[in-house]
Amino acid sequence: MTIRPYVTSFVLQWKIGLRYRLAVLAGLVAQMWFGAISLMAYAAVYHHAPDVNAPMTLRQAMTYTWIQQSFFTLLPLGCLPAIGEAAKSGAIVYDLLRPVDLWNWWLSASLARLLGNAIPRAVLLAVVAGPLAALVGLNGWSLAPPASFEAALLALISFVLGAFISASIVMWWNIIAARTLSPLGTYAVGTPLAVLMSGMLLPLPLYPDWARELLLLQPFAGISDIPIRLYMGMPIPGGVVAALGIQCFWLLALTMIGRFWMNRTVSRMEVQGA
Amino acid sequence: MNAFTLYRRMAGASIKAQLRYPGTFALQLVGNFVTTLLSFFGIWSLFHRFGSIAGWDIGAVAVLYGLVNVSFSVAETLGRGFDVFGSEYVKTGSFDRLLLRPRSTLVLLLGHELRLRPIGRFLQGAFVLGAGFWLSPHVSWNTVWLLPWAVAGGAVMFLGILIGQAALCFITVEGLEVVNVLTYGGVEAGQYPITMFARWLRRFLTWALPLSAVCYYPALAMLNHPDPLGMPLWFGLLSPAMGFVFLALMMLWWRRGVAGYVSSGS
Repeated sequence: MTIRPYVTSFVLQWKIGLRYRLAVLAGLVAQMWFGAISLMAYAAVYHHAPDVNAPMTLRQAMTYTWIQQSFFTLLPLGCLPAIGEAAKSGAIVYDLLRPVDLWNWWLSASLARLLGNAIPRAVLLAVVAGPLAALVGLNGWSLAPPASFEAALLALISFVLGAFISASIVMWWNIIAARTLSPLGTYAVGTPLAVLMSGMLLPLPLYPDWARELLLLQPFAGISDIPIRLYMGMPIPGGVVAALGIQCFWLLALTMIGRFWMNRTVSRMEVQGA
Repeated sequence: MNAFTLYRRMAGASIKAQLRYPGTFALQLVGNFVTTLLSFFGIWSLFHRFGSIAGWDIGAVAVLYGLVNVSFSVAETLGRGFDVFGSEYVKTGSFDRLLLRPRSTLVLLLGHELRLRPIGRFLQGAFVLGAGFWLSPHVSWNTVWLLPWAVAGGAVMFLGILIGQAALCFITVEGLEVVNVLTYGGVEAGQYPITMFARWLRRFLTWALPLSAVCYYPALAMLNHPDPLGMPLWFGLLSPAMGFVFLALMMLWWRRGVAGYVSSGS
């Protein structure tokens, strides 16, 4: 087995992601806007209830929000558009005929698309929300640096795992798109689900206590919530080992069940078109 | 055939087309309802943890949330044609065909699709709105007429954003997602009491984009809740008119855009 075709598939999608520079800028404006609204809302809420013992400080909530906003395009919002289109038009047969492992082939494309979209945006937003915001005197609103060197290192490992989890969830959307012959359903379900469960809508630690541990144990928490907690050095029930363990567990589970499901789907798939 | 009859026929055809796939339709509707309701769960959690949202009780926040979602869903239902205007009309050049028809381009684009999917958002917004009124102690009698007036003002304001977004495509050809800042971002901002925001944002959301004029101030008047920043209560009775003014301005801009339109197709 050679790894070259998967690298090619990765590089292709990666380049497509970097092609739309204006879209990156547009995304930046949108992310700044949503970030600013959430930040002002949190600030007002925290200042009105100074004696409430919240699980995270206002400063942590702000850093959390900025990182979430910068990794918005890393979330599994729906299937890979190319695969959705191929399922619709019937061009999916070309993918089925390739002498490669279909899971790895699609996974490398999905991962490249997520990273190609997310990394330029994340770097730009980190610069604007971090050092730049501190320079213009918005220090209290800016993105805080990592808690320590170790925290930064752990967060980096965790972010890589998170990106793979996200790509595996995208694979599930891809399979659903191939089954339903349309990408629309995956966007309708995937976007709100990912936005809510990843902590994009509200930081996961701020949900009611009964929901918090459940939310930590679902796969979407592994994409950005766990890495951000490690970055800020927040305590996680069970410690660092549990945090990385949850991520590894979901990565394995999503891959194994997903592969099985994909093979079943492919073996009985009816292709659209002539 | 006058413009209204024409629109009714186009809308009827669009509804029939969407009901052709009843299974998909039902799924989308339920999904839309459940997922948008989950987003209220986020606000409720914040409330649950801190006891109030910056001094506002859950009833008032629910009314704001419901009002902005109901208004936006009406605009989403009507304005689908403007939403996809860049990719489906300008880029492909098929706007030329609309220009050849002896009808207002605005009516023709409204007839592009009467989208039924936002009914899910509408229902959950109405549900949260009802709960908000039920939880609020001093609901005013004015609500009876103020509620439809505020929803109408909000719906035409969001429709105005969609028209402005479409008119922008005359310059940019491809639709710009950045405008979502005003639609989805507007819904996001409108869910919170405007007093939580910094002054520059409050001014923008009242006088440039009259979001608070169609949501926040009418809601205060309905709930008999004095404005912490000192705006008199009667302002909320009149302010939804600003949504109509905004729509009128966007229609003027649209007309200018059409006059300067250069086709990209062959």
